[in-house]
Amino acid sequence: MSAKSLLPADPAVWNGEPLVPRFGDPAHAATDPISTAWWALDISAVRAAIIAAARSSVPVSWIENVFDKILVADVDQNNVHLVGPYAGREQMIGRRITDYWPRESWPVFADLLLATVASHPPGDNRIRHCTSIAFEDCVMGMSAEEGFPDLVFVSVGGRISDPRSLWTVRASEQRYRTLIHYLPVALLQVDSRAMVPIFEDLRCSGVTDIGAHLDANPELALHSRDIVRVTDANLKLLQMIGAEHVDQLIGAVDFVFAASPETATRVITAHFEGRRSYTEVMKLRTFDGRLRDVELYVTYPTPPERLDITILSLEDITERLRTAAQLRELQADYSRAARISMLGELATSIAHEVNQPLSAIVTNAETSLRWLSRPELNLDKIRQLTTRIAGSGRHASEIVQRIRGMAAPRAPERRALDINEVAEEALLFVRHETDSRAISLSTSLAPHLPQVLGDRIQLQQVIVNLILNAAQAIGGQMDRRIELCTALDEDGCVTFAVHDSGPGIAPGNLDKIFGSFFTTKEEGMGIGLAICQSIVSAHGGTITAANHPAGGAIFRVSLPATARLDFSSAGKPAGRR
Amino acid sequence: MSNPPLIAIVDDDEAVREAIADLLQVEGFATRTFDGAAAFLAAREDASFHCLISDVRMPEMDGLQLQQTLRARGSDLPMIFITSSEGTTRRPQAMEDGAIAWFTKPVADKELLGVLHAACAGDPRLSSDK
Repeated sequence: MSAKSLLPADPAVWNGEPLVPRFGDPAHAATDPISTAWWALDISAVRAAIIAAARSSVPVSWIENVFDKILVADVDQNNVHLVGPYAGREQMIGRRITDYWPRESWPVFADLLLATVASHPPGDNRIRHCTSIAFEDCVMGMSAEEGFPDLVFVSVGGRISDPRSLWTVRASEQRYRTLIHYLPVALLQVDSRAMVPIFEDLRCSGVTDIGAHLDANPELALHSRDIVRVTDANLKLLQMIGAEHVDQLIGAVDFVFAASPETATRVITAHFEGRRSYTEVMKLRTFDGRLRDVELYVTYPTPPERLDITILSLEDITERLRTAAQLRELQADYSRAARISMLGELATSIAHEVNQPLSAIVTNAETSLRWLSRPELNLDKIRQLTTRIAGSGRHASEIVQRIRGMAAPRAPERRALDINEVAEEALLFVRHETDSRAISLSTSLAPHLPQVLGDRIQLQQVIVNLILNAAQAIGGQMDRRIELCTALDEDGCVTFAVHDSGPGIAPGNLDKIFGSFFTTKEEGMGIGLAICQSIVSAHGGTITAANHPAGGAIFRVSLPATARLDFSSAGKPAGRR
Repeated sequence: MSNPPLIAIVDDDEAVREAIADLLQVEGFATRTFDGAAAFLAAREDASFHCLISDVRMPEMDGLQLQQTLRARGSDLPMIFITSSEGTTRRPQAMEDGAIAWFTKPVADKELLGVLHAACAGDPRLSSDK
């Protein structure tokens, strides 16, 4: 309901100014200007009932039956401070007074309505004492004015035992209200009390697995989305959802879950299970039809907190997710470009490697033809040669597949991998290269390593890169050795290290060696080590470069072990290492 | 030919050396294969071979180093190089050091056999057998 429809339409009587406070009226003589809270109430729907009650002999308390038809037409700031929600006056206007008025004040209020609206009993004064948690000697006053036939004006005030304390509380409330309103986190206040009796019924009928129950009864989730009500929202939430006014949101919480109905089921489940909070990433359909990725965080009320306040905080993470996806894509593109560049460096070795089985095939085929041209067929020999041809053909094909796997564009995967297997496959790429440079390439692979979660090709790429780098570094040395080791470090991380017998790294270069385009070599782009670091970071690991005490450079990569195998390695005897 | 010419084949790639051995066998040569220069040198039987066919690019010791080592030992064993991908940059050195042929893989069978026959024809040990 629009608040404006409650206000007098004639600008001559109401010029848009607030309707309260109304100091000076004798009915409000007892009011204290600092503490008193003021109400203007729309009684148009109950006027006839009050007058009828005054003329009959029904008890005064009968009027309480129609209180929920009395609406708030206006409030002053004191009132907002005392009972209002975040959005303040604007939001209180048009609401039922039963939303705000404590029940203990209803009899006094009913009495004043009879006196003010029906002059019953005639000449009765319009000031009453009542009880209040805010005031000592609380006084309620009520007045009417000819220009506003549908309204009554109510003041509630009294003595404050310590004015500073009230002011302090008020100032702090105001601060929080402002803070919450302008908080850069979107907040939605929800009244989920209607779920409580439903949950009680379910428990009484023996339901313990609410998730299964909701799956079997989809209408319950829909019903819940209807009866759980939004009662307030802050500015950020309005902006996120594309609403102009909080009134657009007051009502069923349904709109929050329109694009993610399963989320509603899980939010209900967490509530049923008595959890303090629940969070998940969901899709949110805004009022202007956009679909956003939102992180929802629900905080359920727990006694002694007010049970009518469940807080939903929503964070729009659409951009963050998009940026993360773009970053992943860029990283994948970047590492693929580096792989192709790496394969380029290996081109001679690859050509050599592919040519070997092809050469064997050609020779075997020619030999076979020579046997076939003999007058007597040696079928055994021809069968043996043909078998070899097939074997070499398969071998060539495997090499091509391996190279293609390295060069093809593909999305990075996360799989549990045995780092020793990854290392051995990586060596297939560089073996010819190190052989041709007369480099002794040795491995020391630790047995029973936990698995790591990662992309096989990218991790191979790191190993190949490090070995190529080492091979280039030791070019002119007499002693040409590269050692690849795998191990489990004291932190439970799986490591692999490439140690070479080269001249080592100049101390001044140690800290910039992983920077893009850093290179001490004439050929090469200098992206090899940068891409290694980028891949290792994307795997949650670290890469370090150092000079080995025994000479040469050592690059060490450390990767987190998978949780499952962490567990199994934790079971190993402590004195094993 | 009661005593066929004996040819040594040195290549680290098993498929290649078996293929060459088979080709030579069909044409009546006897062969022995070695998976690297070190294995050949360790056998110390240079004198019993009539020709040596070697890969150029091999781990540890390559074909040209093998050639140097044999010459240093005083061996005049005829050598044929078969290379996969070096191109021809090292060919002049190999030829200067006395290689009788340089082929690129896959080798043309007729030419290889032709060179082998020619080498063996000039071998006094074999001509005396005839």
